[in-house]
Amino acid sequence: MTESWGQFKSFEGKKFKALDAEFTNEVSKLIGGQDLTTCFQCAKCSAGCPVSDKVNIQIHEVMRMLLFGLKEVLETDMIWLCTTCYTCQERCPQGIDITDILFGLKNMAFKKGITPAGYVGARQSLYDTGRLYEPTEWERDDLELDPVPELNTADTQKMLNKTKLMKLEESE
Amino acid sequence: MTQSYEVFLGCAIPSRFNNYESSMRAVAKELGIELIDFEGASCCGTVVLKSIDEDSWLSMSGRNIALAEQRGHDIVTPCNGCFGSLKDTDHVLHDDESYRKKVNAALKPLGLEYTGKVKIRHFVEVLYDMKDEIEKKITKRLDGLKVAFHPGCHLIRPSNVAEFDDPELPGKVDELIELTGAKSVHWDMKLRCCGSPLLITSEDVATKILQEKMISANGAGANCVVTNCPACHTQFDIQQLGLKDDEGNSLELPALFVTQVLGLAMGIDPEPLGFELNRVSLDPINDILGL
Repeated sequence: MTESWGQFKSFEGKKFKALDAEFTNEVSKLIGGQDLTTCFQCAKCSAGCPVSDKVNIQIHEVMRMLLFGLKEVLETDMIWLCTTCYTCQERCPQGIDITDILFGLKNMAFKKGITPAGYVGARQSLYDTGRLYEPTEWERDDLELDPVPELNTADTQKMLNKTKLMKLEESE
Repeated sequence: MTQSYEVFLGCAIPSRFNNYESSMRAVAKELGIELIDFEGASCCGTVVLKSIDEDSWLSMSGRNIALAEQRGHDIVTPCNGCFGSLKDTDHVLHDDESYRKKVNAALKPLGLEYTGKVKIRHFVEVLYDMKDEIEKKITKRLDGLKVAFHPGCHLIRPSNVAEFDDPELPGKVDELIELTGAKSVHWDMKLRCCGSPLLITSEDVATKILQEKMISANGAGANCVVTNCPACHTQFDIQQLGLKDDEGNSLELPALFVTQVLGLAMGIDPEPLGFELNRVSLDPINDILGL
């Protein structure tokens, strides 16, 4: 087993609080969440998932946890080890937008501070520079490529202030 | 008929794979495709930002689409990540009025609006439409090149968003590759994700996925990997360096961009195709490529 991510490692000995129907509702309202409750646990999603053998909690188990209203799902390694390959979503016989739901769960986890450190750094560069990486000028010079068109970061920051990108964390 | 697009480069290509941009431009020029610089482009939005906050992602991505719309151009991008992000945004904003209103409220102070007029295309999609023209331009055959073609995820999935090729049995880019005399080999792990999006979360898991892919590519008898995405290429031409199986056998195979393969076969001078920037050694296929 490769080194994994996430605090929720196993269902073994786990006790859950009362099932929270409100959480299931909330997830159903995420982008792609509309068909969530039609999942019948065929596990085809996990069968095609590139990280099924590398996570503690597989994607069909995540789907079950969502239907049971278990917020602990946000602590599973599956949430951030999803490669976003969309194989599960493509193949789901119920047409559930599984990968899109996972994006929404990542959003929820990020707000709670459950996120790999790299994402916090990436948010900062996206806000500061409007980009994830900067151009490598010597390579561009060698290949006689024109400079990358300029970006006025005041424009992107204006939008990202509106969406409160730098203030997502929920206060406890 | 001259095709004309604003070319959306994204962040990874100018940073790590300028040979992809350069070879794309060379091929476009040869085929008479006009590529207009994308003034004011930001990051596409990316799965990274979508993971952090979907409202921010839709705004960032929607702004790029609205810029092209304001100038009356369609968009072409050579990056699967940018393609997926822009197409996905277009899909959400087209179908969901509440998100469209929200994004347009954020765009209004910038004098921009999304209405959904812009076509977003991957560069290989444009190439596939010009298959016959490309075939006529092949002057240098690449017989003996056995390609493990990696389409990448966001070029084909989810298929109702990507709208490019069969999500379970894609073959369009393979057809282009085979115009050159190269063979696109069947390999079991072809459709599997390269693992690149996990580099930010766990390099260990990303590398394990790459290892599985490369065992499959080697086992299928490929002598190179070809991609159409800088994110995937990060795995195949950077992370692959020195990659071994569990017994310690080398799994390295040269990694080329589809535009380098097509460009070479179309008789384009190797210099703008940027082979000197390929990191995994091309020695095993140098004779076939004639470099």
